[in-house]
Amino acid sequence: MADLTFASATELARMIAAREVSPVEVVRAHLERITALDGSLRTFITLTADAALAAAAAAEAAVVAGRPLGPLHGVPLGLKDLYDTAGVRTTGGSRILADRVPAADATVVRRLREAGMIVLGKLNMVEFAYGPEGLNPHYGHPRNPWDATTHRMAGGSSSGSGAAVAAGLAPVALGSDTGGSIRIPCSLCGLTGIKPTYGRVSRAGVLPLSWSMDHVGPMTRSAADCALVLGAMAGYDPADPSTSVLPVPDYTVALTGDVRGLRVGLLRGFFLESATAEVRAAVEGAATTLEKAGAVVDEVALPGVRHAGAGSLAVVATEALAYHAAWLRTRAADYDPDVRTRLMLGAFVTGVHYVRAQQARALLRREVDEALARRDVLLAPATPITAPAIEARQATLGDGPADIRSALIRLTRPFNFSGHPACSLPCGVTAGGLPIGMQVVGRPFDEATVLRAADAYQRLTDWHARRPVLA
Amino acid sequence: MSQPIDLETMRRVAGLAGFEWSDAELEAIRPLVDASLRMLAGLETLPLDEVEPTTQYRIL
Repeated sequence: MADLTFASATELARMIAAREVSPVEVVRAHLERITALDGSLRTFITLTADAALAAAAAAEAAVVAGRPLGPLHGVPLGLKDLYDTAGVRTTGGSRILADRVPAADATVVRRLREAGMIVLGKLNMVEFAYGPEGLNPHYGHPRNPWDATTHRMAGGSSSGSGAAVAAGLAPVALGSDTGGSIRIPCSLCGLTGIKPTYGRVSRAGVLPLSWSMDHVGPMTRSAADCALVLGAMAGYDPADPSTSVLPVPDYTVALTGDVRGLRVGLLRGFFLESATAEVRAAVEGAATTLEKAGAVVDEVALPGVRHAGAGSLAVVATEALAYHAAWLRTRAADYDPDVRTRLMLGAFVTGVHYVRAQQARALLRREVDEALARRDVLLAPATPITAPAIEARQATLGDGPADIRSALIRLTRPFNFSGHPACSLPCGVTAGGLPIGMQVVGRPFDEATVLRAADAYQRLTDWHARRPVLA
Repeated sequence: MSQPIDLETMRRVAGLAGFEWSDAELEAIRPLVDASLRMLAGLETLPLDEVEPTTQYRIL
């Protein structure tokens, strides 16, 4: 039997439905791998092995009884530890919420359980999702599985999700993305993940970092798996007033493999200028691959994107401080000092800054909409660099030096600011063997075209099929 | 704001927001606050006169 821990979610669901494998075997294989590897990878904060095995037994009984099965029946799932789970602690990667046990599941957790998924546990993350490096001093720094000798960042804030899926500890994990926290770990760990349009997926029951910038979505090893999982998560939720009533299409139907005539705008300027030579070459190579398959590729710039950093800072710092103000007054010493510093910064952002940022946001949204009026998708690096060592503080980008934090988020956060959907997927490896990620950006609520482009690229290449070598 | 922020201003701003941070804590974050305020000042250079701020999402 093939290695169940590196089978795709799509394949696992098919095999389970066809009775080729039992959900119990699938869950047990993943739990055994977690036991073997997670001592060094540090991806799980809470492992719910007994509950997962019980759910797997029930899933197996449903198969045997011939009951109707959900589209992800028996497929394991890891949850970033900011998704509420009924009866299981949800820490937000913090000491402050170390003992918080929600009474109910987040909406998307409930929906994925209804689709048949089995929760393995809660995944490590940056404390309260406030940082892109992926580090966590309370629960241990997750390790990027792509380097067995150097402890490299898995990228954040969904670092446990990224490292776990890359290492075969789960076929699917949920992340959240306020400035890139799905796409950054996907880029650094060689995964495929999608930040949907703002309003496409419910945030109800997900600990917030910044209400107007937070997006939730799946992290997987292929665009096809993203399509399957996103379809089960998305849709209107009365518990989240920002969700859209637009119907959710079957994203898997969009995966035709055909990009003939697809209009692709390669984002020059800020995006490619920022990238290192290896990243730039890989993304340009991906554009060429799509062009050879029949896509129509041109180049486009988004000049207003240079202010996305300032705008995002004003919005995130202010909204995050508003959420954390009470704890910051009473439990300041319990925060990771880096996170505390970022929260304190919010006190010095004025109301005028916040409104200017919201104006800049409208401006950028218009600019991205205009670029997409004549194109179906935009293409850019997801991160300008590959996975840094955890002690790194500075990086050399294509346009000069930058601190690691701002380097990691500079290319992803514009689309949190604008709200457009963006999928990160692997498009190469460095000479040192580290994954390189690119992002495909689409029109609002057109995740189908984004995933179609990503999937077509993955049918033409094998970057997404490469696996890290683990001890 | 183009002038570097001073400690007294930081004390007052933090106090208005309800935080009693020590001078040492404020001094430690002053370079970050300065850099951030310079970055935020860049928003004033954008052509925003005719742009209404985003307060509502595409709720379709």
